[in-house]
Amino acid sequence: MSASTPVIRLRGAGRRFGAHEALAGLDLTVHAGERVAVLGTSGAGKSTLLALVNGSLEPTSGSVEVFGEDPAGLTAPQRRLLQRRIGSVNQDLALIEQVRVVHNVNAGRLGRWSTTRALASLVWPHSLDVVRDALERVDLGWALYERTERLSGGERQRVAIARLLVQQPELVVADEPVSSLDPVRAARVLDLLGASPTGRTLMVSLHQPALAREHCTRVVGLRQGRIVLDVPAADATDEALHDLYELV
Amino acid sequence: MTLQLDAPQSPQSPQSPQSPPSVSATGRKPVSGRRVLLRRLTALVTVAGLLAWAADRAVPSGGELVNRGGLALLDDLAATALRPSLDPGFLGVVLEATATTLALALLGTAGALVIGLVGGLVLSDVAWSGALPWPVRAGRLVLRGALVAVRSVHELVWALFFVSVLGLDPLVAVLALALPFGAQSAQVFGETFDSAPDAPLRALRAAGAKRCSALAYALLPGTAPLLLSYSFYRFECALRSAVVLGVAGVGGLGFELTVSLQSRNWGEVWTLVAVLLALAGVVELWSNRVRSDVAVVTCADWSVGQERSRDGGRSPRGLSRSTRWSLALAVPAIGAAWWWAGLSPVGLASARTQDLAGRLLSDLWPPALPEGGLRVLTGAALDTVAMAVLAMTVAVVITLLVGPWAGRPRADRRGPAAWGRWAVWWPARLLLLVLRSIPPTVWAVVALLGLFPGVLPGALALGLYTGGILGRLVAEAWETMDLAPRESLRNAGVPRAISAVVSMGPPSANHLVTYTLYRFEICVRDTAIVGVVGAAGLGRLLSERLAAFDFPVVTGILLVSLLISFATEVLGRRLRRALRA
Repeated sequence: MSASTPVIRLRGAGRRFGAHEALAGLDLTVHAGERVAVLGTSGAGKSTLLALVNGSLEPTSGSVEVFGEDPAGLTAPQRRLLQRRIGSVNQDLALIEQVRVVHNVNAGRLGRWSTTRALASLVWPHSLDVVRDALERVDLGWALYERTERLSGGERQRVAIARLLVQQPELVVADEPVSSLDPVRAARVLDLLGASPTGRTLMVSLHQPALAREHCTRVVGLRQGRIVLDVPAADATDEALHDLYELV
Repeated sequence: MTLQLDAPQSPQSPQSPQSPPSVSATGRKPVSGRRVLLRRLTALVTVAGLLAWAADRAVPSGGELVNRGGLALLDDLAATALRPSLDPGFLGVVLEATATTLALALLGTAGALVIGLVGGLVLSDVAWSGALPWPVRAGRLVLRGALVAVRSVHELVWALFFVSVLGLDPLVAVLALALPFGAQSAQVFGETFDSAPDAPLRALRAAGAKRCSALAYALLPGTAPLLLSYSFYRFECALRSAVVLGVAGVGGLGFELTVSLQSRNWGEVWTLVAVLLALAGVVELWSNRVRSDVAVVTCADWSVGQERSRDGGRSPRGLSRSTRWSLALAVPAIGAAWWWAGLSPVGLASARTQDLAGRLLSDLWPPALPEGGLRVLTGAALDTVAMAVLAMTVAVVITLLVGPWAGRPRADRRGPAAWGRWAVWWPARLLLLVLRSIPPTVWAVVALLGLFPGVLPGALALGLYTGGILGRLVAEAWETMDLAPRESLRNAGVPRAISAVVSMGPPSANHLVTYTLYRFEICVRDTAIVGVVGAAGLGRLLSERLAAFDFPVVTGILLVSLLISFATEVLGRRLRRALRA
C-alpha cells in the first residue's frame, strides 16, 4: 500500500433519506490498488455507500473525498474530470436500449471525446478495435452490432462491464455486478474489474462471501448503516461474517 | 352531441347486475346510477343550451340570411366544376405556386423542429440534472408561458404581423409557420424527453460525459422514432397552413386561389382545387407510411398528445426503404426549398425592419379598446365563441355521417360485403380529404357568396374544414380499435349488428368526445382566419384594425382571444379528465 493520498476517504460520512438514516458516521480509507468487497444484508446501506463514493449521492453529514477531492466543492468541469476517473456498474445497468451494442460500449469513452466526435460516432462508430477488444474480453465479441434490447440479462450485464473497460477508470465502483451471472462468468468478471496493469482500485458489493475472499484484498461489512467489520480478505472467515448476516 | 354521455361507461367498466353495491375491489368509491344519470342530464342541458344560444346569436331575428344575389355566382361556380382552366400559361403559374407552397411548408416545419428541439430540451426535466437553481426555474416558467401565448395566436395572424414589418418576404411565411408550430413542438418534445428512462443519462454523466454528448446518446435513440413521426405529422399540418397563409399575400397556392376567387375566375379555382387535393393526398399518404414505419403513432394520438405505439414497438425489420430515402432527402430538400423560396435572413436585420419593428412594438402597448368600447369587443368575443360552437356542430354532424365509412376496412374481411365496404371507403375518405384540404378561408369566401356576412358563413366554413379533420381523426382511431369484445359477444350468440353497436359504440363515442373537445380549442383559434375574409367575430375586428395599423386595439383584441383560448383549453382539459375518470 502506498503512503500517498488515499483513493477514497470517508470521515464521519452519513446519509439520510428523510427520516430514515441509511448510513451514519462512516470512517473508511481505501488506498490505490486495494480491492474492497462490501458485504451485508439487503438494506444494510451497501448501495448508498457506493453511491457516496461514485458521486451520484452527496453525504448529509461528514465528508467524502475521492482522489483527495471533495466532489461537493468542485466546479462542473472539474467534477466531470473527476467522474471520468471513476467507473460505475449499477444494479440497474443503465444501458441505452435502442442502439447497437457498439454505441453502448463507446458510451464509456464519452468523457474523453469532444461533442462533435461523440455525435459523429452515433452515425459511424469510432474506435471499433477498442470496442471489439473489450467485448471479446467479456465473451461478447459476436454482439458488436446487435441491438442492445435483444440481449439477455447476463449479456446486458457484460455489455455494461465492457463499457466500463473502455472507460479505463482508476477506481471501479460496482454494485452487485455479478448478481445475474453464473459462477464461472462471475469469477471472470470480477477478475476483469480488478485486473489492470496500473493496479486499479475496486470497491464492489457482493452477496457471496466466497467470491469476496477469492477476488478481493479487503472485506468491509455493513450492518444497519454502520461498519461492523473491516478485515483483510483472508481473515473474513465464515465465523467472522456470521454476525453480519444474523437476522435482527 | 348526446353521445358524450356514454363516455364514462367505457367497455372496460361494464355495469353488471352482480357488481357489489359497496366499495369495489380497487378501493374506489362506486358510482351510483343516480349520479351517472345526473351527470348525463347536466351534460345534455349544457350542450343543448350552448347550441341554442349559439344558433340564436348566429340568426338575428328578422334578419335576412341568404344572399339571393350571390346564388347566381354559386351556380356559376358549380357549373364550371368539370371545366377547369387548362391554359398552359396558367398551369405554369400553378406549378410554381405548388413548389412555393411545398418549399414554405418544408422550411416552416424545419424551423419549428429547431425551436421544438431546443425548447423541448429546456422544458424537459431530464436534461437538467439534479435540483434546479431558481433562475433556471423562473426562466423555464417564463418560457412555458411565452410558448402558450405564441401558439394561441394563429399562423395567419402572425403572418399579418410579419407582413407589416418585413413586407412581402418569404421569411414572413416561414416565421409565421415556425413560431406557433415550434411552440407546440417544444411542449410535445419536452414531454417525450421526460417519458424516456433517465438511468442511462445519469450513468453517462457519472462516467464524466459532457452534457451534450450524454443527452445525444441517452435520449436521442429512444425518442428519435417518436420525434420523427411527430415531425411528419407537423409537416402535414404545415402544408395546410401554408395554403391558408396565401390570404396574407405570401405566395403559393393559397395566394393564387384567393386571387382567382376574387376575380371570379371559376375555371382557375377548380384547377387550383384539383392540384391542392392531389398535393395534400400525396403528402398524407407518404407521411402516413413513414409514421407507421417509425413509431406507429396515428395523427389522432399526436393531436391529443398521446404517445402510444401499436404492437408495443417498432417493426423488427427496422426502417423501410421509403423511410430511409425520405430521411436522406430531407436535408437536400430543405436546401432546395431555401433556394426556391429565395429565403434570406438579411431582411431580419435591415435598418428598415428594425425601425418598423421598433415602431410596431412601441405601438402595441398599452392595449386599447376598439371604437364602440367594451360592448363591441365583448360582442365580437361572443360571436367568436358562437361561431366555434356552431362550427363544431357542423363538424360533428359530418363526422357522424361520413366518419364510420372512412375507417379502413379490416384486412380479414372477404367477399362481396367487403367489396362494398371498400367501395364506400374511397369516396368517404376522398370527401374528408376535400373538406380539410381546401383552406377554411376559401370555404368562407364561397359561403359568403350565398350568405350575408355574419357568424353563420364563418361557422359553416370552419365546420366543413374541421369536419374533414375530425372525421379523419375518429376514423383513424376506429381503425385501431380492439375488436376482441365484439368477437366475444358474437361468439356468445349475440346478433352481428347488436354486438357491433354494443361493443364499438361506447369507445367510438369516447374518441369522438375527446377529439371534439380538442378540436374545439383549435376551432376557437381558427375563427381568426375566417374573420380575415369578412365573416364575423374577433378575427374580422382584428384584420380590420391590422389593416388600419391600429396596433393598440390589435393588442387588446389579441389579449381577449388569448383569454378565450386559455379558458377553452382549461375547460377542455377538465372535461376530458372528467370523462376519463
